[in-house]
Amino acid sequence: MTQPLVVIDALARSFAGVPAVREVSLTVGAGEIHALCGHNGAGKSTVVKMLSGQLTPDAGRVLLAGEEVDLRSRQVAQQLGVALVDQELSVVPALTVLENMMLGDIDAPLIKRRRAAAERCREILRDIGLERLRPGQLVSTLSLGERQLVEIAKALSQRARVVILDEPTATLSEAESQTVFAAVRRVAARGCAVIFVSHRLPEVLELCDTVTVLRDGRRVTTAPAAELTVERLIVHMLGETPHRLEASRQPDPDLTHALRIEHLRVPGRLADFTLTARAGRIYALAGQLGSGASDVLRAVAGLHPTADGSVELRDRAVPFRSPVGAARAGIAFVSNDRKGEGLFLDQSVARNLTATRLHKARTARSLAARAGLPEDRLADPVRALSGGNQQKVFVGRSLDRPDVHALLLDEPTRGVDVGGRAAIHRLLRDAADAGLVVVFASTELEELLELGDVILTMRDGRVVETYQGGTDGAALMRDMTEGKDAA
Amino acid sequence: MSLTATPPTKTTRASRTRPGLLTIALAVVVLALVPIAVTTDRFLSLGNARAILASTALVGITAIGATLVMIAGSAVSMAASQTATVVAMVFLATLDLGLAVAIVLALLGGVVVTAIQGLAVGYWEANPIVLTIAAGFAIGGGSVWFSGGTPVNAATGGYQILNATPLGLPLAVYVLLLLAVVAEWILRRTTAGRQMYLVGENRAAARAAGLPVGRVTGVAWAFFGLCLAITGIFLAAFNTSATTNLAGTLTLDAIAAVLVGGTAIAGGKGSALRTLGGALLISVITDVLLLRGYSTGIQILVKGVLVLAVVVLVHVRGRR
Repeated sequence: MTQPLVVIDALARSFAGVPAVREVSLTVGAGEIHALCGHNGAGKSTVVKMLSGQLTPDAGRVLLAGEEVDLRSRQVAQQLGVALVDQELSVVPALTVLENMMLGDIDAPLIKRRRAAAERCREILRDIGLERLRPGQLVSTLSLGERQLVEIAKALSQRARVVILDEPTATLSEAESQTVFAAVRRVAARGCAVIFVSHRLPEVLELCDTVTVLRDGRRVTTAPAAELTVERLIVHMLGETPHRLEASRQPDPDLTHALRIEHLRVPGRLADFTLTARAGRIYALAGQLGSGASDVLRAVAGLHPTADGSVELRDRAVPFRSPVGAARAGIAFVSNDRKGEGLFLDQSVARNLTATRLHKARTARSLAARAGLPEDRLADPVRALSGGNQQKVFVGRSLDRPDVHALLLDEPTRGVDVGGRAAIHRLLRDAADAGLVVVFASTELEELLELGDVILTMRDGRVVETYQGGTDGAALMRDMTEGKDAA
Repeated sequence: MSLTATPPTKTTRASRTRPGLLTIALAVVVLALVPIAVTTDRFLSLGNARAILASTALVGITAIGATLVMIAGSAVSMAASQTATVVAMVFLATLDLGLAVAIVLALLGGVVVTAIQGLAVGYWEANPIVLTIAAGFAIGGGSVWFSGGTPVNAATGGYQILNATPLGLPLAVYVLLLLAVVAEWILRRTTAGRQMYLVGENRAAARAAGLPVGRVTGVAWAFFGLCLAITGIFLAAFNTSATTNLAGTLTLDAIAAVLVGGTAIAGGKGSALRTLGGALLISVITDVLLLRGYSTGIQILVKGVLVLAVVVLVHVRGRR
């Protein structure tokens, strides 16, 4: 092989003194599909952001075709031929396929020659096997998978030399993923260097030529995909396998206080979910983005109006098609979107803590003490707190409420430092001990194993396996990434 | 009285101990206004003070109601004038059933018509501006149909008691002060009022927390409807007859008062007492300009500049 197209040399970056990426080096040749694997927080997205110009490295160099480049911004990266296909779609549904492709195209002439543009668009679509799409078709009429493909086509139309795909298949079905893979292979065959980030390990091994594994911001290994198996990848990703889930810590209390979820379905998101969650125990839903784990919680909390099935709490039906109904039935929900769907940022800590009960300030004080929040900050707007303390406010809001019988949490410690995390875990354990049903969804193995008494692994809107104890990180990871259907 | 230093909550540690841009700016306006006002002929007279309060009263009453709507995140209603006008017509036309019945019917009409709009905003997430523009046309059309395009006159007398001036001030001024206190009490002391701030600040979060977003919005609008109806009744009593454009520029005047009071157009921040201050400030400035002989055009221009300045400052503070 001649000189590699992309050379990453000792890139490093830290956030607020905490290193996220430490001296990571790797090379990707033209025509190579290179996978970047790692557990949450391993540093994958930081590397991707540095390559696509969204973050500046603290140290290290990036060479494209032998030339050192300064990827100051996404525009510069794009001009240099680095295209990013994000997990969040950036295609505009209200525009046509052609218009979307022209959108990010910096070479597009101001007054476009429509014919020529349409011709080029068709050519690119053909290149990635999308002949069936017409340039004039509205993106809103396409499936999620097709939109993802248009995104890839858009990257190509920008004459990209390096295409980075960040979790492109997270929300796609198996069949849709396959069409994306076919397109990715064609992109590589055209001489592009492809960097592929995915949680789904079998698909990584199927698609990629080379795999680099990151752990704690360091490169652990780089190996040809042919020499790896899912098991060995998991070992690389996790290092020493995290401690095993202890067999159930609490004696089983009776079922009259249980949360019974039966055949819960959310069209397009959750296929079928049944769980009887006993009071006093913590149930963990383990699943990546798009697995349906967070949809279970949202549906029960009344935030999926199209959900279907039956939910009972303490032997009484929960009207789970409206959030008010669910709340009245005794369900409290902690969203994974703390800022957008959780806190009232400009209101005081005290007001946030009492938002759903509206009692006296004394309650706020005792809650603050319980959640480990400094009392002198009760009057401050929540916006002024750290992420960890904000999350304590969010969780604390639902504690010590006689009318709450079930606590549902989606990523209870997202964006929270280690200390805050332990504190929140303690709060949840206390809540369970106090007789609440606690169900949470998470993608973090440590959290799942530490906190969950019962762990349900999920993938593609279904439960893969239920563990009452006696499992370990590797098994969870396998379920979350492979599912039952894999070998 | 201080129009400027009534922060919405207790002084907080870091962020609110130093006065905000808005407070400083309003203080500057008031301080600049004092020498201009006291050197203005006839400004410092009891008669003028009465005139200022009287002219504040009707816009102020509507603005107090509009404050709750804005805090609850429903922005503004563009149908205030039309609603007040229809209420005035209903009141005058039903006076022959007795004053009490006429008042009850008028209040009921205002509350129901406005609360329906509030429920649409709260439950269906209808865009309040679009909705109230449409409602304004419908209600305005209703008033033309009701009146046949001619002025509606009082069916009988009996309404003169509403024009009483105890202690030399119009009854409406007392009602304004009472409503301001009631509104402030609702906002601070009742569950629904405190929920208005939450719903206004972050509707998605309020929804996810299981707060009754629809009901809270409905309550805010119903109170607004009550205020509108009271405005309409006083308008009717003052004018003894109602034409289709009885309420004039009430809609925009009320919005101006709420905004000058520093309530955030996007919701979640504000207070009824500050709206009262805003309404008074506008009246004082208008009064000074009037006494100094400036034309109506200048008066409106100054009002517009003031509203613009406050809105920009509130926005800047919000973005901080």
